[in-house]
Amino acid sequence: MKTIYQFIAVRFGLSIITLLLISFIVFSLMELVPGNCAERYLSFKQSSGQNITYQDIAAEEKRLGLDRPFLIRYSTWVVNAFQGDFGQSCIMRVDISTLLIPKFGISLGICLVALILAYSLAIPFGIISATTKNQTLDSSLKFFSYLGLAMPNFMVALMVMLFSTIYFGDTLTGLFSPEFQGAPWSMAKFLNFLSHAWLPIFILGWAATALALQTVKALVIDENKKLYVTAAKARGVTGRRLLLNYPTRHALSPLINSIGFDLNRIFNDLPIVAIILAITDAGSLLLQALVRSNDQQLAGAIIFLMTATIIFINFVTDIVLSIIDPRTRRGMLNQR
Amino acid sequence: MSSTAILSQSQLIWQRFQKNKSAKIATFFLIFLISLGIFADFLSPYKPTIDGADKDYINGAPQLPKFWDENGFSIRPFLYTTERTRSIETNFRWVETVNREERRYVQFFVKGWEYNFLGITMDRHLFGIDQGQIHIFGTDGSGKDIFSRTLKAIYISLAVGVLGLAIKLCMSLMVGGLAGYFGGWVDSILSAFTDAVRTIPPIPLFMALAAFIPDHWSAEMRFFYIATIIGMVDFPTLSRRLRTHLLSERNQEYVLAAKLSGTSTFKIIYKHLLPSFTSYIIVDTLINFPYMILAETSLSFIGLGLQDPVNSIGVMLQNATKSDVLLNYQWYYIPTIFFIALVMAFVYVGDGIRDAADPYKVQK
Repeated sequence: MKTIYQFIAVRFGLSIITLLLISFIVFSLMELVPGNCAERYLSFKQSSGQNITYQDIAAEEKRLGLDRPFLIRYSTWVVNAFQGDFGQSCIMRVDISTLLIPKFGISLGICLVALILAYSLAIPFGIISATTKNQTLDSSLKFFSYLGLAMPNFMVALMVMLFSTIYFGDTLTGLFSPEFQGAPWSMAKFLNFLSHAWLPIFILGWAATALALQTVKALVIDENKKLYVTAAKARGVTGRRLLLNYPTRHALSPLINSIGFDLNRIFNDLPIVAIILAITDAGSLLLQALVRSNDQQLAGAIIFLMTATIIFINFVTDIVLSIIDPRTRRGMLNQR
Repeated sequence: MSSTAILSQSQLIWQRFQKNKSAKIATFFLIFLISLGIFADFLSPYKPTIDGADKDYINGAPQLPKFWDENGFSIRPFLYTTERTRSIETNFRWVETVNREERRYVQFFVKGWEYNFLGITMDRHLFGIDQGQIHIFGTDGSGKDIFSRTLKAIYISLAVGVLGLAIKLCMSLMVGGLAGYFGGWVDSILSAFTDAVRTIPPIPLFMALAAFIPDHWSAEMRFFYIATIIGMVDFPTLSRRLRTHLLSERNQEYVLAAKLSGTSTFKIIYKHLLPSFTSYIIVDTLINFPYMILAETSLSFIGLGLQDPVNSIGVMLQNATKSDVLLNYQWYYIPTIFFIALVMAFVYVGDGIRDAADPYKVQK
């Protein structure tokens, strides 16, 4: 049996390898976008009236280092990215880190709260749905959770907007009231943020709840069939005590593993929900970078940051799980 | 004797599936919605593109046919004659005046625009109306009939799903098949790659891939490209399962026997190993189908996916976030009901089949 430190070291190495692979995929994607940064920036300048020649483009390419071979550019990008420096945005000509980090923080905050909301709903309702004898309750829980899976989040967002315009005359969009837009963070601004952010949190959380609920249900049902539960029943343990102390305790530890996956799902929906609800976070920045300005540097940085967060969460949850349940250590290492 | 007849695997699955009431209801819904999509051209009274737009009824409200009013009952459903005017008195907004005395009757199997069904050119449509046009779901900002567009959108969504699925299957079989059959370093490299792709949130990845589409591409090229990337990005889960399955199967004696008699690697994979996995592939395909449709819808909605004249629910909802639409033209949202029903039906049917196909499932 491997010790916990060995496990952490190996798992850390694996995370770094995955991250490197992803950075390579992301960087290649950025390269595949037709046109490079130099051309894009200069064509932007040209549209504002300056005359641009081929020499100018070549000079700009040299200045940005775009004339060097692919692998060298990739390694520079990766080394910088690991230090949190993503270079400059193609169009906006500002440092990506300074632009992105605060917005990414907001996104991450929204996503994590949505995740917590999802699990705090999914665990109790999943257990209820797995153990209830009430057929109507079970099928209505099933219906709601499937609805969460079936409705694309942007439709939920649209529906909420539709009803809120009809009934309240307000679209409930944005993250701050106008008076807090540029203000520094304070308690009042934070409260204002919360009063706006509940809607995206609710929308993102609902879909994640649906999935987590199914997982909890399946896990509890699986455990319920095992012999130790039957043995406990035979010893006369019944009711809530049986449920909470026997199947549930064991069923919930694998759930830790699905946190990373659920965060992936929430990130997935973030850009679209953000654009509908007019939230100025990393999600809408990504959409802007891709659709409007073709800003490959910025888009690459955002996708890289999102994926890095997921890998980090996966790393942490694996470690936590291996401490709670040492049996998982061997399986996790052999599986890869 | 017949009561103790041995049931085949598929008969057993069918028996268990029939016991699942919600899945059975969902199957009827699903068949109904799919046939709406397949017979879209026949069922829709007008062309879903700009050619079929009704210039006199822009942003028009849904017109529901009536059977009776104060002037009496009629077996044949009818609409009133309406006239739209706008002038300085109405503040330049379209105002409708309804003439309740003059009825327009709904006609069935009418001649309309020509379409192609299974290679035959036809021009019959299920219903139409005497004079003018009928729009049971209303019209959009350029006068296109929302009912016709909804049906066509169901068809397009199904087409994207089927195409994406085919590509996903090929991709998973290739990657998972190679990794599982060879094992060792081939497996390590392919699995690391699969895991990496699985970690990236798919919609941002789709967005990045869709951003390459050059502006001069036609709507049909976009359609194929979008279906391809949706299929390609979705391969990791199935590919992983396949690999794990093959890794455990490949050391079985029947594989060794095939190897010894000189069968080629690919033949072993596709003739001997894959059939043991077919039922899983079918179930997985059904369960994942709705997510392909969802991905396409989300992409089209943000403007990176399909574009007019190829239309899908996402394309139709692009304009629906405007406050003008939210306040005045709520019938833009009618297609979402069909869409949600379609996805829900798929989810329930897929779920039912999965439960039925699992021989170890204990009835709760």
